[in-house]
Amino acid sequence: MISLPGSAAGATPAVTAPEAGVPYPGLVTRAISFAMDAVIINLVAIIVGVGAGLILSLLHHLPSVVKAILAAIGTVAYILWLVGYFVVFWSTTGQTPGARVMQIKVETLDGDPIKPKRALIRWVGVLLASLPLFLGFLPVLYDEKRRAFQDRFAGTVVINAPAMSMVEARRARKREQYLAAKRPPPGETGA
Amino acid sequence: MANSGDHTNNSGPRVLRPLTDLGSRAAASTLRPFGGVLNAAAGAGMTLERRAVDRVLSSDELERVLTAAIDSIQVQAALINALSSDAAKRIIDGLFDSGLIDRFLERLLASDALWHMIDEIAASPAVTAAISQQGLGFAGQTADEVRDRSRKADDWVERTARRLIHRQPRPLPIGPDPSM
Repeated sequence: MISLPGSAAGATPAVTAPEAGVPYPGLVTRAISFAMDAVIINLVAIIVGVGAGLILSLLHHLPSVVKAILAAIGTVAYILWLVGYFVVFWSTTGQTPGARVMQIKVETLDGDPIKPKRALIRWVGVLLASLPLFLGFLPVLYDEKRRAFQDRFAGTVVINAPAMSMVEARRARKREQYLAAKRPPPGETGA
Repeated sequence: MANSGDHTNNSGPRVLRPLTDLGSRAAASTLRPFGGVLNAAAGAGMTLERRAVDRVLSSDELERVLTAAIDSIQVQAALINALSSDAAKRIIDGLFDSGLIDRFLERLLASDALWHMIDEIAASPAVTAAISQQGLGFAGQTADEVRDRSRKADDWVERTARRLIHRQPRPLPIGPDPSM
């Protein structure tokens, strides 16, 4: 349990974090999440590509120009799918499916959900971080908030986001209500 | 015999009818005040009875008696005996043989209200969450294990990396608590 500021020794802590450890996922967790996303992206792309290839195989005598155009269209579609996958998931739930499984989430430094523009910038950051043999991910090991290059580039942070069961959610709500009720009203700072 | 008697009786009243009518009217007018008194007495009696019943029903004593009766070992034994008796079994058999249960179920299944209720229950968050939890039980356990190990690996990799460059272990940062 992590005692947050405001909890004196021996006194009941004001708020305690439910999970041990830091609230930011590390390199391994993020790598697993990224690998899961890569599997999903490529699996879908392979299925679509094989389907398209099977259909095109029925057309035997396509000119080479048409084949080149179709290949270009396929490449553009793949890039759009790749970018869209991350941008849509980051800017909607803050979690890609891989991140959902690993229970991590992207948000701004203020804790707000990121917008599509920032998600796109972050994706460019991921690309730049990956190009030099993923060296851009190394700052995760040394940064106080475990931020990688793309996080600094886009002003985001990746946090742990444990999924709560309904009972836990209700308990958390009740705890918040209890703490809110115990909190003195503004202006009343005590004797 | 009867006819002769009737004839005798019929001939008598015909003569005495004015007298009997007069007597009846006199008796009725004499007894009229008593009738009112009797009606009032009957009304008062019913009111008293109602009050008595209300008082008994609202009394703690009745509840105590009923509770004692239900808690009574003798009553419970009698109920168990009655339920385990052949007569009870015959009643249940008769109930099913009569087709009443089948009819009840048919009507119930044909009822829109029942299916509406089932839809409501099936769509309730508690049920969907329970089904999801059940269906993803194994996957969830695996994912939990992977998460747990990956968090430990995060810390281990970070400690090793910091040791390599002779850097202090990372202090525990105070960051956002995602559970809040």
